[in-house]
Amino acid sequence: MSSDRAVVDLLRELAPQVVGMLARRHGQWDLAEDAVQEALLAASAQWADAGIPDNPRAWLLAVASRRFIDAVRSDSARRERENTVAALETRGEVSDHDDSLTLLYLCCHPALSQPSQLALTLRAVGGLTTAEIAKAFLVPESTMAQRISRAKQQIRAAGLAFEPPPPAERAERLAVVLQVLYLIFNEGYTPGSRTSASGADLTDEAIRMTRMLRAGLPSNGEVAGLLALMLLTDARRPARELADGMLVPLADQDRSRWVAPLIAEGVELLDATLGACPVGPYQLQAAIAALHDEAATADATDWPQILALYTVLEQVAPGPVVTLNRAVAVAMVDGPRAGLALLGTIAAEPGIAHTHRYDVVRGHLLELAGEPAAAAEAYRAAMRGTASVAERRHLALKVARIAGS
Amino acid sequence: MKYMIAMFGSASEMGATKTPEWINEMIAFMIDIDVRLRASGEMVYNEGLADGSQAKVVRLENGQPVATDGPFAEAKESIIGFWIVDVASEERALEICGEIVQWSEVVELRPVPAGPPVQ
Repeated sequence: MSSDRAVVDLLRELAPQVVGMLARRHGQWDLAEDAVQEALLAASAQWADAGIPDNPRAWLLAVASRRFIDAVRSDSARRERENTVAALETRGEVSDHDDSLTLLYLCCHPALSQPSQLALTLRAVGGLTTAEIAKAFLVPESTMAQRISRAKQQIRAAGLAFEPPPPAERAERLAVVLQVLYLIFNEGYTPGSRTSASGADLTDEAIRMTRMLRAGLPSNGEVAGLLALMLLTDARRPARELADGMLVPLADQDRSRWVAPLIAEGVELLDATLGACPVGPYQLQAAIAALHDEAATADATDWPQILALYTVLEQVAPGPVVTLNRAVAVAMVDGPRAGLALLGTIAAEPGIAHTHRYDVVRGHLLELAGEPAAAAEAYRAAMRGTASVAERRHLALKVARIAGS
Repeated sequence: MKYMIAMFGSASEMGATKTPEWINEMIAFMIDIDVRLRASGEMVYNEGLADGSQAKVVRLENGQPVATDGPFAEAKESIIGFWIVDVASEERALEICGEIVQWSEVVELRPVPAGPPVQ
């Protein structure tokens, strides 16, 4: 079993490198990616029995090249392009990091819809098979295959080449890449998201790809911040859900189940980054996560410091969700009434007022303020608004406990 | 034979009218029946749905599609989750419904007819 796991890990690591090498050699990165996908499937079948070859990357490159050339030849409409392929010369020395980054930028191109960005990134950069991605998103494999093929068509139609974005656009494009990686992480972390044995763990995949991104951009503070945020959040995963699927809020979690090495790595990364780089929203959110993770008990949480960080975050990246979180911190520092007063200021914001998150926070603060009936009403409103069955059950219990007390 | 089993009710009313113990038992049942239907190979697909108040109804008005917000019906007439099962007989499907209805207002059983013969 462990050797199967080793094969999968190795294939996922090598996949973007081989796509990059092939795309650089021949152009037509979308065909290259298809060829690599076929090579990955062949490898996972053969290596499990025959063992991992001495030079796995060369093996994959050889098989993928073969498939690539077959695909180009079999398509008579592409004959002309074949000549162009032959005429293409390999550009100068480019590292694997650069290739993987170029691929990541391309998969997260703003011309693509968000579901397409997520799916394409997981396949081309993450090296996951279409079947694995489909299982992770709980959609039929044919749906996911179609989504990926349409995303590639969109990239072709937009005339995008396999090259890094121009320097002037890079910061903006990196922001989209970070957002896509964070969305993949959250997709895996969402309560009640079911992971079948053969489906990929999207949280782990997001962390792996963010590590890869960091290897290519080691001095970028927000890349480090996002990685730290993921590690510090993932550290709490074993404690956030009971065996029966019930959610456990942060304050009630068994902190002995938090993963200490992940916390240590996240904190170390954050310490090396904060102050050394321009501060951004991911670093700030990671710093807040670190304060929660470092508190031995919920009561020991450094709420004044968390409130200070949310105040900075609100200036750097203002938005109703940040204000919502700041209201919780205000309540912990200055009392529930102060938190409720801050909530009142965003009650009319169209993006937040009728979301279940708003109602959950309102219910929590009303409960703290000693207004059980109003709290139960807010929780019931949240139950009507949530799309998560796990969260709805958690809220139903809260309401029932209030009603019974 | 394939059937759709639809469960009706309102989660937010449940929170106000049931005890925490009842809710815990209901959750345990829902997890257990998932496990059992998967183990027996009878489960085709299942989903829990958001509350009926999140629903929209789309109608054609003067040739234009118009979406209206809910709620549309009494909460107990609103679908809250469904299973598609592939079972040996209607009797077996009714047996499953009989378990689910202990925890739900109403359960509806509907055959999913087989498609036309393959050419």
